Amino acid sequence: MASLSEEVLLVVKKVRQRKQDGTLYLMAERIAWGPEGKDRFTVSHPYSDIRCQKISPDGKAKVQLQLVLHTGESTTFHFANESTALKDREAAKELLQQLLPKFKKKANKELEEKNRMLQEDPVLFQLYKDLVVSQVISAEEFWANRLGGLNNSEPAPCSNKQEVGISGAFLADIRPQTDGCNGLRYNLTTDIIESIFRTYPAVKQKYSENVPHSLTEKEFWTRFFQSHYFHRDRINTGTQDIFSECAKQDEKGLMSLVNKGVKNPLVDLLSLEDKTLDEGYGIKQALPSTSNTNKTVKESSNAAIIKRFNHHSAMVLAAGSRKNEVPADQASETSSTDGNSRDSDFFQPPVKKVCVFTVKLQEAIEYEDLQRESKQKTVALNLKKSDRYAHGPVPLQSQKYTTSQDIINAVNCIQHEMAHYKPNLTQVMSSTAASSAIAALSPGGVLMQGGAQQAINQMVPSDIQGELKHLYVAAGELLRHFWSCFPVNTSFLEDKLTGHLEEMLQTAYSKFHIWQTRRMMRKT
Amino acid sequence: MKLNIEGLLVYFPYDYIYPEQYSYMLELKRTLDAKGHGVLEMPSGTGKTISLLSLIVAYQKAFPLDVTKLIYCSRTVPEIEKVVEELRKLMEFYAKETGEVNNFLALALSSRKNLCIHPEVSSLRFGKEVDGKCHSLTASYIRAQRHSNPDQPVCRFYEEFDAVGRQVPLPAGIYNLDDLKDFGRRKGWCPYYLARYSILHANIVVYSYHYLLDPKIADLVSKELAKKSVVVFDEAHNIDNVCIDSMSVNITRRTLDRCQSNVETLQHTIQKIKDTDAAKLREEYRRLVEGLKEANVARETDVYLANPVLPDEILQEAVPGSIRTAEHFLGFLRRFLEYLKSRLRVHHVVQESAPQFLKDIFEKVCIDRKPLRFCAERLQSLLRTLEIADIADFSAVTLISNFATLVSTYSLGFTIIIEPFDDRTPTIANPVLHFSCMDPSIAIKPVFQRFQSVVITSGTLSPLDIYPKILDFRPVTMASFTMTLARTCLCPLIVGRGNDQVALSSKFETREDFAVIRNYGNLLLEMSAIVPDGIVAFFTSYVYMENIVASWYEQGILENIQRNKLIFIETQDAAETSMALEKYQEACENGRGAILLSVARGKVSEGIDFVHHFGRAVIMFGVPYVYTQSRILKARLEYLRDQFQIRENDFLTFDAMRHAAQCVGRAIRGKTDYGLMIFADKRYARADKRGKLPRWIQEHISDGSLNLTVDETVQLSKHFLRQMAQPFRQEDQLGLSLLTLEQLQSEDMLKKIAQIAHQA
Repeated sequence: MASLSEEVLLVVKKVRQRKQDGTLYLMAERIAWGPEGKDRFTVSHPYSDIRCQKISPDGKAKVQLQLVLHTGESTTFHFANESTALKDREAAKELLQQLLPKFKKKANKELEEKNRMLQEDPVLFQLYKDLVVSQVISAEEFWANRLGGLNNSEPAPCSNKQEVGISGAFLADIRPQTDGCNGLRYNLTTDIIESIFRTYPAVKQKYSENVPHSLTEKEFWTRFFQSHYFHRDRINTGTQDIFSECAKQDEKGLMSLVNKGVKNPLVDLLSLEDKTLDEGYGIKQALPSTSNTNKTVKESSNAAIIKRFNHHSAMVLAAGSRKNEVPADQASETSSTDGNSRDSDFFQPPVKKVCVFTVKLQEAIEYEDLQRESKQKTVALNLKKSDRYAHGPVPLQSQKYTTSQDIINAVNCIQHEMAHYKPNLTQVMSSTAASSAIAALSPGGVLMQGGAQQAINQMVPSDIQGELKHLYVAAGELLRHFWSCFPVNTSFLEDKLTGHLEEMLQTAYSKFHIWQTRRMMRKT
Repeated sequence: MKLNIEGLLVYFPYDYIYPEQYSYMLELKRTLDAKGHGVLEMPSGTGKTISLLSLIVAYQKAFPLDVTKLIYCSRTVPEIEKVVEELRKLMEFYAKETGEVNNFLALALSSRKNLCIHPEVSSLRFGKEVDGKCHSLTASYIRAQRHSNPDQPVCRFYEEFDAVGRQVPLPAGIYNLDDLKDFGRRKGWCPYYLARYSILHANIVVYSYHYLLDPKIADLVSKELAKKSVVVFDEAHNIDNVCIDSMSVNITRRTLDRCQSNVETLQHTIQKIKDTDAAKLREEYRRLVEGLKEANVARETDVYLANPVLPDEILQEAVPGSIRTAEHFLGFLRRFLEYLKSRLRVHHVVQESAPQFLKDIFEKVCIDRKPLRFCAERLQSLLRTLEIADIADFSAVTLISNFATLVSTYSLGFTIIIEPFDDRTPTIANPVLHFSCMDPSIAIKPVFQRFQSVVITSGTLSPLDIYPKILDFRPVTMASFTMTLARTCLCPLIVGRGNDQVALSSKFETREDFAVIRNYGNLLLEMSAIVPDGIVAFFTSYVYMENIVASWYEQGILENIQRNKLIFIETQDAAETSMALEKYQEACENGRGAILLSVARGKVSEGIDFVHHFGRAVIMFGVPYVYTQSRILKARLEYLRDQFQIRENDFLTFDAMRHAAQCVGRAIRGKTDYGLMIFADKRYARADKRGKLPRWIQEHISDGSLNLTVDETVQLSKHFLRQMAQPFRQEDQLGLSLLTLEQLQSEDMLKKIAQIAHQA
C-alpha cells in the first residue's frame, strides 16, 4: 500500500490502537498505523484531514496521542513501550506539530471557501440547510458542482472581498481603568487581540509558544501590558522579560524592511543624489560615528519613539494588505532567482524595476490638462448595497426658496381675495349628490374598489411566504441536479439518476407535502 | 501646436498651453537673443521644463551657429531622467510634425554608480566604491601592466570603448541613463565613458549641478564644453549652497592621520621608483620646469572652462623650485601637515582670515605663499607620475593640498574656523578646522564667464534680486510668473493662535512651551480629521521634531491622530526614511490616509513631490530659520553684510522663507492638483516674511487669513476642500488658464498675458 516513493519521517514501534499492537508511521503526507505482523495500514490519515492533535496529561498512566479529524472522528494511539513511551510520544508530537500547519492551510482552504460562500450568500445557506442538513442530498453532492464552477470560472469574487484592516490606534483604544486598589485594568476584546496579533506577529508567536503551557492567557496579557515593549520605553529592557525578544525581532523586521529598499525610485532617497561631495568637503559635516555615542539618553529615547511609530504604521499597513502582498513577493522572488546566474542577469536587465520606473516617470511628466484627449480613468464602483447608495441621504424636501417679498405678496393676495369672497349660491350641488360622491370616494366605495383587491403577497403572512420560497428553491436545486444528469452517458450518472436522485425528489416532495398538511392543519 | 514666439517657430508637444508658459518662453527668448543671463521664477507644475526645452531646441534649430549646445543641470537623478523623458516627447513631436528624422543628440550623464554595466562593479552599493573599483580597472598604468601580465584584470567594456568607441560618434537620438546602458550592453562599451566622451558633441546634455559647479569634477568632465552653450540651472533655489559646499573644506584629526599615512606611502613609492626608474622622475621635473603652459594656452584660447582651484596666475609660472623634486615636495607636505596638527591642538575657538593664516604659517614653519598655491597641481602631477590608481585612497592628501591652494589663492571670501570640540559635547575633544567658503560666486564665476547664456530657474526664487547679488552676475532678464488659475487650487492659511489664544510660534523663547506644543498638536489632530488622504507636516529641524513628537506622544496626541491616519516620520537615516515614504504613499494610495512628519531642509523637503492625494495639506510648523549659533553662518552673514550690503536679518529671513516655500510648494504640482498650505507661526503674517514668499503663493493669502485660530483654520479648510472636491474639467480651464492655439493668437489674449506678466 505504501508506495515506494513515500518518504517515511518517523517510525514508532509498539503503538497500540484499539487494543492492538502495531507500528506508527509518520510519512511526508500522511500518518499511518499498521498492526503488528501485517504489511498493510489499517489506519491512514492524510495530514490535511487532521484538525488537531491532543495528548494525554503528563501524570496519566497511559501515554496517548489523539488525532481529531475535520469530520469530527478521532483516532487514539497509545504508546505502549514502557521505557520510551513518553519520548516516543514527544517525538511524534513534535513532528506532527511541524507538519500539521503546513497541511492545515491546504485543507482549510476548501473548508474556508465553503464557509465563506455560505456566509456570504444567505440564499445558498438556506438551500444548504434545506437540502444537506435535512439530508435530502449529501454535502459532497451539494458542493460538487458548486465549488467546481466557482474555482474554475470565477475566482474573482473571493479576491474582490476586501479584508477589514486594522485601526491605526488600536493600542490607544485600550484605555486602562483603575480598579480602585492600586492596579490598572485593561479591557481586551477579541478584536483587539486579533489586531495585536496581526500587527505584531512576534507577539503572536510568543503567545502560541507560552499559552497555555507556561502561562495562562490572563498572565500573558498582564505581562504584555506590564512589559516595556508595550510602553515602548526601549532604553532599559530587562532580559528576563519575554517580550524583550519581541522588541529585538521587531527591530530586525524593521531593518529587513529598510534593507529591502523601495520599489519606487522616485522616493528612494539613497539614489536621489547623483554625486555626493567627497569626504572632507562641504559646509555641513556629518559626524555619524560620534553622533551615536554622545547622544543623550533623552535623544535616543526620542529617536526610539520615532522608530516605533514608523514600524507600527508599517505593520498596520502590512496587516491590512498582507494578502495582496504574497503574490508580489513571489514574483520578486522568482525574478531574483533568475538573477542568480550572472550572465543572464547581465544581458537581461531586471525588467520589472525598469518598468515601474518608466511608468512612474511617464506619470510624473504628464500634464493631463494640456492634452486633448484626456483618458478616462475610471474605477468600477463595487456596491454592496446598491439601494443604500441610490437612496442615500436625501434632502427632506426639494428646497425652493421664496423671497420674503414673494411671501408678502402672496399673503396680500389671499387677504384681498378673502375680503372679496362672495358665495355663488345659485350654482351649488344638491346635498344628496354631494354625499353620494363622498361615499363613492371613501374606502369601500364604488370608486375605491381597486384597493380591496389586495395582492396575494399581502394576504399570506410573510413566514409562510418564506417557507414556501425555501421549498421552491430547494426543489429547484434538486431539479437542477436532475437535469444536469442528461445526457446520461456514464454509468455513474445513470446510477445517480435511477438511484438516489429519484429518492431525493421523493423526499423533497414528501417534505413539501408535510409542510402543506401542517399548514392546513394550523389554518383549520 | 506650433507657436510663434517673436518670430521664432516653436514646436510645443501639447494641444494646449498655459498662458504663463507662453510668457516664460517669451522671456527666455529675449535672454537668448541678448546672449545674457536670466533669472526666471515659475511655479512648479506649470510645465517649466517643457517650455524651456521647446524654446531652446527651437532656438538651436533656427540658429545652429549661435547656440550649439544646451547644458541642462538639475539636482537629483529622477529629475534628470524626467527632463530627458520630456525631451524625448518633444523630439517625437518634432519627428511627427516635420517628418524629418531627428538629428539631435541628447543624453543624460550621471555618476558611474548609475551607468556602470560591469557585472561586479555595478553590484556595489555606494558611489564611492563603484568609482574606486572602476579606477582600479581602468587606470592607464593598470592597463599598461596588462601588456606584460595578461592576468591583470581590466574592464572589458572600457577596453572595448577605448579601442573602437571613440571613432564613431554616438548616433543621434535621445539617451536616458537606461538607454545608454542598453546601448553599452549591445556594443560592449562602457556607457559612463561613452557618455562622458559624447557630451562634447551632443546637442543637449542633462546632468547634475556638480558636473559644472564642483571644480574637482568640472575639471574632469565639463572642461571642454563649447562656449556657445546655454546653461540652465533648474530647481536653482539652493544653488548658492551647492557652490559653497563645493569649495569648503573640513579638516579633522582623522584627515590628518590619513594624510600622514598617504605621505608615507608616497615616500615608499618614490623610493622604489628611484631605484628602478629614475628617468621617470627626471622627466617629471623637466615637465614642471616648463610649467603649466599647456593648460594656460588652452585656457587662453578658450578651450577650457576655468577651474577656480587653478587660478590664472599659476598657469603663467613654473612650479617653484622648492617643491619641484618629488622628495622636496613630500618634505614640504610633511611640514605643512605638522603645522596643521599644531593648529588643531587648540583649546578655544579660533577664527581667522586667509591672510592671517598665511602670515602665521610663514612665521611658524617658513612656508611661503607661492609653493602653497601650486600644491594641488604639484600633487596631481606626482600622483600621475607615480601611477597611483586608486585616487580615492589618496583623498586625504588631495584634500589637504586643495586646501593649501585655496587658502593661498583667495584672500577674500573664505574664513578659517578652528573648533576644539563640538558645541553640543564640550567635554569630548574633536578639533575641526573649517575652511569655509562664504562667497558662492567664486565657484560659479567660471560658468558665468564662459557660457554665453546662463538661466537660473525654479519654482521658488523670490525675492529675485537677491540671487544676482549673491552670485555676482548681471542678468538681462528677471521675471517671476504666477500660476493662472481657473479655480484657486491652493489655499495658504496662516495660523497665528491656538483655540486658547496662545500665540503659535517656533521662536526660541517659546520653543519648549507646552501650550505651543499642545496647540500645534491640536492643529495636526484637527486637520487629520478633515483632510482626505495625505498630510505632510514640516518642522524646522530634526531636534525640534524629535522633541515635539516625544511630547505629543506623552500627551496622547499622537494616539488620537492615529485614529484618523497612520503616522510616518522622517529620520536621519535615508534608507529608513525611504521606507517610511514608500509606506506613506502606499497608505495614501489604499485610502487609509497618512501623515508624514518631516523636516525642512531635509532630504524629503528637497527632493520628493507630493502630487495630488499624496499631499492634500502641508503644514509648516514654525519658520525654518537656519541654526544661527553656528560660527560658519555668522561669518557668512558678516561677509554678506560687508560685501553685498545684505543685512543679516534679510538674508536669514530670505533663507527661511525659501525653504518654507519649498516645503509648502511640494503639495501643488499642477493646475489639476489642489492643496492646503498651512503656515503655523504667527510670524508669517508680518510683511517682511510674507513678502518673501513667491508671488504665486503670496497673491492667494487674503488679509482675512493672516492670524487664524485652529478652529477658524479648520472651518476654512473644510470649505476649501469641499469646493475642490467638485469635478474639474478641461472646459473649466479653457480660455482662462489653458489656451488653444486660436485663443493664444487673439489680440485680446496676448494683451492679457502681457498684462499678467508685467505685474511682476
